[in-house]
Amino acid sequence: MAFAERAIDALADARLRGALDRVTGALGSRRESAFASLDHAEIVRDAARAARLTAIEDLAGHLERFEARLMANGARVHWAETPDAANRIVADIAERAGVRRAVKSKSMVSEETHLNAALERAGVVAVETDLGEYIVQLANDRPSHIIAPIIHLTRQDVGRVMERQLAVPYTDDTRELAAIARQRLRQEFLRADMGITGANFGVVETGTICLVTNEGNGRMVTTMPRVHVVFMGIEKLIPTLADLDRCLKVLARSATGQKLTVYTTLVNGPRKPGERDGPEELHVVLLDNGRSRMRGGETAEILGCIRCGACLNVCPVYRTIGGHAYGDIYPGPVGAVVTPGLRGLEPFRELPGASSLCGACRDVCPVRLDIPRMLLALRDRVEREAPTSRALGRAMKMFAWVASRPVLYRRGAALVRWSLRRLSSNGWITRAPGPAAPWTKYRDLKAPGPRTFQEQWKAWRSQSSQSSQSSQRSQRSQR
Amino acid sequence: MSEARTAILRRLREGQRTGRMPAIPRAQVPEPSPQTADELAGRFSGELAALGVELHVEASADAVRTRVKTIVGEQRVFSWDAAFLPYDLGSVPMNFIFGTASRDEQAGAEIGLTGCDAAIAETGTLALLAGTGRPRAASLLPPVHLAVVRRGDLRFGMGEYFRDRADAIAQASSCMMITGPSRTADIELTLTLGVHGPGKVIVVIGP
Amino acid sequence: MTQVALFHTCLVNEIDPEVGMAVVRVLERAGASVDVPEDQTCCGQPAYNAGFHDDAREIARHTLRVLSRTEGTIVIPSGSCADMIIHQYAVLFQDDAEMTRAAHDVAVRCREFSQFLGEAAPEFRAGRLASRVAYHPSCHLLRGLGVRREPIALIERVEGAEPVHVQEHDECCGFGGLFSVKNAPISNGMLERKIAALEASGADRVVACDLGCLLHVGGGLHRRGSKVRAQHLAQFLDEAADGVR
Repeated sequence: MAFAERAIDALADARLRGALDRVTGALGSRRESAFASLDHAEIVRDAARAARLTAIEDLAGHLERFEARLMANGARVHWAETPDAANRIVADIAERAGVRRAVKSKSMVSEETHLNAALERAGVVAVETDLGEYIVQLANDRPSHIIAPIIHLTRQDVGRVMERQLAVPYTDDTRELAAIARQRLRQEFLRADMGITGANFGVVETGTICLVTNEGNGRMVTTMPRVHVVFMGIEKLIPTLADLDRCLKVLARSATGQKLTVYTTLVNGPRKPGERDGPEELHVVLLDNGRSRMRGGETAEILGCIRCGACLNVCPVYRTIGGHAYGDIYPGPVGAVVTPGLRGLEPFRELPGASSLCGACRDVCPVRLDIPRMLLALRDRVEREAPTSRALGRAMKMFAWVASRPVLYRRGAALVRWSLRRLSSNGWITRAPGPAAPWTKYRDLKAPGPRTFQEQWKAWRSQSSQSSQSSQRSQRSQR
Repeated sequence: MSEARTAILRRLREGQRTGRMPAIPRAQVPEPSPQTADELAGRFSGELAALGVELHVEASADAVRTRVKTIVGEQRVFSWDAAFLPYDLGSVPMNFIFGTASRDEQAGAEIGLTGCDAAIAETGTLALLAGTGRPRAASLLPPVHLAVVRRGDLRFGMGEYFRDRADAIAQASSCMMITGPSRTADIELTLTLGVHGPGKVIVVIGP
Repeated sequence: MTQVALFHTCLVNEIDPEVGMAVVRVLERAGASVDVPEDQTCCGQPAYNAGFHDDAREIARHTLRVLSRTEGTIVIPSGSCADMIIHQYAVLFQDDAEMTRAAHDVAVRCREFSQFLGEAAPEFRAGRLASRVAYHPSCHLLRGLGVRREPIALIERVEGAEPVHVQEHDECCGFGGLFSVKNAPISNGMLERKIAALEASGADRVVACDLGCLLHVGGGLHRRGSKVRAQHLAQFLDEAADGVR
């Protein structure tokens, strides 16, 4: 299904639109209050931006240093160019360690690679443990928002999913629903052989993986099982712990309006001798999947994204159509830039155009990513490499040629105005022809008048100079 | 070294030449003004209150021990080893379970007891380092987490903590920063406490 | 007398010349001497936003030629066209040092209409008009140019004008240029939110500095039989001036 069709489906779903409205509105205003309480907020944002851009600028050098520190800390580092390669690495780690059951804390990168399905094929049961992701997994659904994956579901929906999938009595009380999940997932945490997480940041200076969660599942997953696999994109680095402080100051505020999430966990390596919990083995899987190619193009800056979701909450397009319409893991403004980079331009060529370029995303981005600039650059690429309409391209070329030749332009414009006026009544057009028809499906089109502004102005100017000349003459004749 | 690694690094270095990257901003974040011990304690209290964390401030080591005993009572307490607890808390007669106990026993404790490596006043955060005698699960498995903080553990911000304790943090297998009780808002953005981690956090500050 | 060269924009010229006439009258009242270069056509934004950057450059070169031959301040009664010339030409020509210079020399002389009035005529006598006014901050004006206060200040100077609060007032109306046609259903979804907010505000009119937004919102209001009118800021000020004649 193409983007346009998914969008129309989403527009027709009144429940979804109501949910989106409420949640994005709430998260958006929490973000505003949280930033109001941050001292020197604009400087901190600049510092976070500087940290991310510094790492991305020389990403190769930073990755090499990060790897060296991780290895010195006792972790194993693996590199994967493609989703399949990454999945195979995890499956191999699982096989060598005799892993039967795995618990997962939020990792969007693992969704990129469909890791769970690959693990299943390798005989490993992988259970999602973020409450929202757990529900998504139970319901065999897809997340619709980076931070709040089940905003498209009501608590009644959740109650029904749990009743059906877990054979528990129906309830729509959120505390009871959370208690059911706590009890079920606790069993999973305690018996799992492997924990899989993403990484919010990789700190190069110390070889540290930083994970932020609110529920505690991130801690469970990195404490209980004997093997911990970190599944991360190559771009998630920042140079120092001081940078981490700045980035953490803006991450939770942008995502949920909190000063910090409940659990900020720094993982430096596997457990030390004498420790009684923590993993015995720590593996870090670094996934490329198009990121290194993006580094070489117009959208390199998007690699600085810290996945906070703030852009989603203010985007009027996302707020209207929700996440599924974008057709892949990352929705909203960041998704429109990143998805063509990860998956290829051609299959997602409609995404860069799915924006009115209002700039609200750039305003709220904690690291000030210039998403509109990147969308425009991608649109240019789309028209060169995978144009949707050759007719539009030809029309634009002709328009550009005419618009550089004022005499021709005036004649061409006069013709267009004349045809539109013929379709109008009482100064309005209710059914525009051909390619303009979508306009009048939803709005009336104001019809042009008989003269252009240039013509009116010239007439007015000559009238007023005539009248000033005639008043001068009459003044002279009166003397 | 793997082929994937070589290819990825090569592409990144090529990309450095051709990619369009914006200028890197200069940013000097002003240091927070120095705080007195009282100001730190006051700020920490305020943040804990906003998080719904129960706080007790005690003037003597004795008072700390009494308070902890009152809170724990007859419950099974999954604790850091005595050597790592402040104020000689290991000597208080309580139903202790240590890291040497089985996972099931640990999971059966009603309350977890730890000290901390630092307490960060700006956000009401407890920083705990993993290590021998300081099982991570003590602040995670039981439904209640009781953390004992010395006044000297207080710092203003996380940046300061990272600077002060850089070596200790780098040498630990993990540093866990805890800001309030476990929570979720995934269902209709309604707040629920105590999902996987402790639903209740209690802090006792001693001299 | 401030010398002004008016870049009227293609939409004003072709679809709604009354806006242009109102702009001229208001500018003259504010003490400007207005000239209208004859050979202007389009700033190139529709081609640029749609991803036809070579075509946009061709149009931009012509526009820069026309504007570089003018004198005085270049006033543009459209936030999006102003942003195009002031900021986006630099992006279009970023790999061409000579054109970058040419674009810069023109850009520094450009002002959006309300921005110009705020700078050049801070004591502007705005007239009288009993009205309940919803101000719609168009996106390129607000976020591209950072013009936030000036249009509101002008509306407030009109005696009898009551600015009304609009829910989520700075959210995009859904025009976005060709977006309004290529993604018409989504554009309409955004339009519906904006119209609902405008109707709930109690305004008798919505005033903006961008004809694109006004044609989209105004066209939507008209289709729905709304009592809310859509008006360019210049037309509102022009109407208010009549109130004191």
